Amino acid sequence: MKLPAPAALRRFAAFAVIVNGLFPAVWIFLTSLKTEAELTRIPITWLPHAPTLENYVRAFHDQPLAIYLFNSLAVALLSTALTLFIATLAAYALARLEIGYKDLALGAIIAVSTFPLVTLLVPLFQTMRTLGLLNTYAALVLPYTVLSLPVCTLVLVSFFQSIPVDLENAAMIDGCSRVGALFRIVVPLSAPGVFTAGLLAFVNSWDEFLLALSFNSATSMRTLPVGITLYQGEFAFPWPVISAALVVGIVPVAALIVMFQQRVISGLTAGGVKG
Amino acid sequence: MTAPTSGVTPSFDPSRGPTPRRKRRFLDANDAVLARVLLAPTFLLLLVIVVYPVCRLVWTSFLELSLTSGLPPRFAGLENYVSLATDPEFWTALTNTLLITLITVPAALIAGLALALVANLPFRVRWPVRLSLLIPWAIPLAFVGMIGGWFFQSDYGLVNDLLRHVRTTRIIWFNSGWLSFMAICLTITWKTSSFVALVLLAGLQTIPDELYEAASVDGAGVFRRFLSVTLPMLKPSIAVAVIFRMITSLQTFNIPVTMTRGGPGTSTVTLAMYIHQNTVDFLDLGYGSALAVVLFLVSMAVTAFYLRQVRAQP
Repeated sequence: MKLPAPAALRRFAAFAVIVNGLFPAVWIFLTSLKTEAELTRIPITWLPHAPTLENYVRAFHDQPLAIYLFNSLAVALLSTALTLFIATLAAYALARLEIGYKDLALGAIIAVSTFPLVTLLVPLFQTMRTLGLLNTYAALVLPYTVLSLPVCTLVLVSFFQSIPVDLENAAMIDGCSRVGALFRIVVPLSAPGVFTAGLLAFVNSWDEFLLALSFNSATSMRTLPVGITLYQGEFAFPWPVISAALVVGIVPVAALIVMFQQRVISGLTAGGVKG
Repeated sequence: MTAPTSGVTPSFDPSRGPTPRRKRRFLDANDAVLARVLLAPTFLLLLVIVVYPVCRLVWTSFLELSLTSGLPPRFAGLENYVSLATDPEFWTALTNTLLITLITVPAALIAGLALALVANLPFRVRWPVRLSLLIPWAIPLAFVGMIGGWFFQSDYGLVNDLLRHVRTTRIIWFNSGWLSFMAICLTITWKTSSFVALVLLAGLQTIPDELYEAASVDGAGVFRRFLSVTLPMLKPSIAVAVIFRMITSLQTFNIPVTMTRGGPGTSTVTLAMYIHQNTVDFLDLGYGSALAVVLFLVSMAVTAFYLRQVRAQP
């Protein structure tokens, strides 16, 4: 909508939104560059007097931050790949094939997205414990796949529907099977949609904390949020070092967001997503 | 795509060309079979990770099943639910959870609407504002909780440092139940308003300019246009944002855990935290299940009530 607000007011509003959105992250970054002595100074300092990378060295040295980072990446990438594969198949069926129970199937998938994950905690904990899957990647990858499946399916359905059917028909006339047409024509043409869905799945996994804390609490299997939180609890941990660890955990998702802003926005709006 | 010709006989179909079925594979058989094959992984996963666990949850909630006792599970009927009803910590956790929902959902909606209206202004360079909505959305909740804890830290926190200018004594936020609670609500509102803003921004962009122009011609001012055009047109987006926010805020876990760990005392414990504690720390699966069933029912009730309200409106 076009407000007739004066340019100065508009610029001020934009400035306020930017400060609101970016300040906490910037503040943590500044904190991560301060020495511990500077941090306990009153009044607090805004810019670090003597910026140091010492905290980053300590963050990796004093705790197995590299392992947490690797675990987070492994879980997020594995669940993203699995989600994309399963969602692609389902989305194609829902977007292209004439099936009578389409609304029912879509409804079931959307219903799952409104499902409280906490209620799955107890039975999944039981199952994972029985199967000996606690402290394995599988314990997280499977639930995370379910977590992202609804939104990814919805994003992909809308992208698949935008691909002209004639292209597929042409491929099938040339002897391609339907599934072949899906993977050779539809998926490549919907690459932006597949990518968007993948981004959302990745961010979902990167963020998840409850199941990660409950299922994978062994030091070697902790993801970043779990590792940093528990370490803070187990040791009186200096804040600059925690800040450095947080920055390490924020940078990967922030980088993805900065690079692919428009994709994320279009994905979030394609099917009302969890926040 | 033409309707599936389910038969084996290749009836003539001009859209498929003259030699359609030569390299036919089993997956081409017909759409119905293919659809079942393609949807199978999705429904298998939902069955194993959602449907079966929920059934098991309900069943376990009627059992006395504590892994620390070493005893075999015993059918206990409604015992877990009875002890839950007389458990003061459960009521605290339930009240806290509902309060967090009642406070942070409207707060995030208002803040998110303001953010979305600004982000929708016709700036020449749009990415800085957009980025400022996306970054809070992308920072993991647990990190936001830790950062919030640091902001409200009593000695070196930024909030107290700013408050020093207006008051002489510092506030020890996390010593007081309700101050901790407010700090948590503020942090949750900050974190979730960005998601609300992104959803509402998408809604704002679908409102055609002609509507505003028509309203202007009719003499409507800024506020009149906001009330008569923007809000009504935005209603579906608001509904989506509110429903997802309500469902997620009933599950609030990450931010209180990382900010206060439920303290001081039990003043900031949420239902999800209490479920986690009983299940993972105390290994009392029967009681944890009963708690989870209650959360599930509350969540369903809230969703159903809200959907009815939305539909009831003209």
